Amino acid sequence: MRSLADNKTATALFAGITLVGALSACSSPATGTDSSVTGGAPATANGTYTDGTYTETGNYTSPNGAEKVDVTLTLESNLITDVTVVGFGESPNSKQYQGQFINGIAAIVVGKNIDKLSVDKVAGSSLTSGGFTKAVDAIKADALAK
Amino acid sequence: MHARIEDFDRTYSRFRDDSLVSTIARAPNTYRFPADAPPLFELYRRLYIATKGAMSPLVGRALEELGYDRTYSLQPSATLTRVPEWQEALSWNGSELTTHTPALLDIGAAGKGYLVDLVAEVLREHGVGATTVDASGDFLHRGETPLRVALEHPLDVSKAIGVVSVQNQAMCASAPNRRAWAGLHHILDARTGLPTDRIIATWAIAATALEADGLATALFFAEPAELATEFEFQYVRMFSTGRVEYSPDLNGELFV
Repeated sequence: MRSLADNKTATALFAGITLVGALSACSSPATGTDSSVTGGAPATANGTYTDGTYTETGNYTSPNGAEKVDVTLTLESNLITDVTVVGFGESPNSKQYQGQFINGIAAIVVGKNIDKLSVDKVAGSSLTSGGFTKAVDAIKADALAK
Repeated sequence: MHARIEDFDRTYSRFRDDSLVSTIARAPNTYRFPADAPPLFELYRRLYIATKGAMSPLVGRALEELGYDRTYSLQPSATLTRVPEWQEALSWNGSELTTHTPALLDIGAAGKGYLVDLVAEVLREHGVGATTVDASGDFLHRGETPLRVALEHPLDVSKAIGVVSVQNQAMCASAPNRRAWAGLHHILDARTGLPTDRIIATWAIAATALEADGLATALFFAEPAELATEFEFQYVRMFSTGRVEYSPDLNGELFV
């Protein structure tokens, strides 16, 4: 339960990298430029990172033309503590992809049997009234009769 | 409590002839609403703006024409009327609604959540402490023990896609899976008058069930980042592709 919240920024970053990779893979190679670094220089060879806030612009070419996203992340003691992503996609397609990327974390889920989970409640669409169910049954019967 | 629910139904139900909403639908005029109306209209107004007109209380006629009427005829009519824009059909002054056309209001997207809040309020006034008000699909929790809530898979209701923890909050789920007929369902985009198809389930967690219910519907039409500029909430939503998107600050676990 708690683990997801604790790892949120790291997960967000990985989701982001995957998406930029996926978008650039279908066209020209992505290039990155350091547009601003505050608080120190990044990455030494042994994998120790200098604390600070880093902003990187990713450029890629999508079928809709040149696109870019700005990714700002904060490192503290080798941990990512904050991630901000700003997209500049102009076409509806890019807006949609970047929107999905910026808004939240995207994932493919697998269903688990509810009766094997220990939960107090199940949240799904509201149960339908008897009248509605009967009407749907009637439509099905009509459709079969035709 | 039952009296409170009956009051609400008599004002807002689209399915009964003696309701205020049915009276309004018969002729344009100015109508006075009960004291519970302002938060509901205010929420609808904010969501109408945040979803760029996709979410509207004016979808009542379109729902009826698609067959979602009081007799559940579930037979779409041959012609569908355009859903009017808010400004051309309604003005709300905080206590009175003036309609410029015979507007059929449908508050289905947030009304049930709001009624959950109102029932919880009745319980609070009567000194009830720890409370869970569950209206199927929408609930509010108040108490010291969090609720563990499974997120039902919209395509297989025996399965869950995750578990979240809810405490002193409201949570609402929305999905067309149980209210679908003839290839149609009940969540309409007011701009087209037709059901949405990109998103197949949403869950929203907010301070009130009114907000959570409205946001669960709004997530079918608007990007979460757009809604987040206006509302504070956590969410999960599932696309028709099976992909799931969720807030970075979700208090829970998804089975990824």
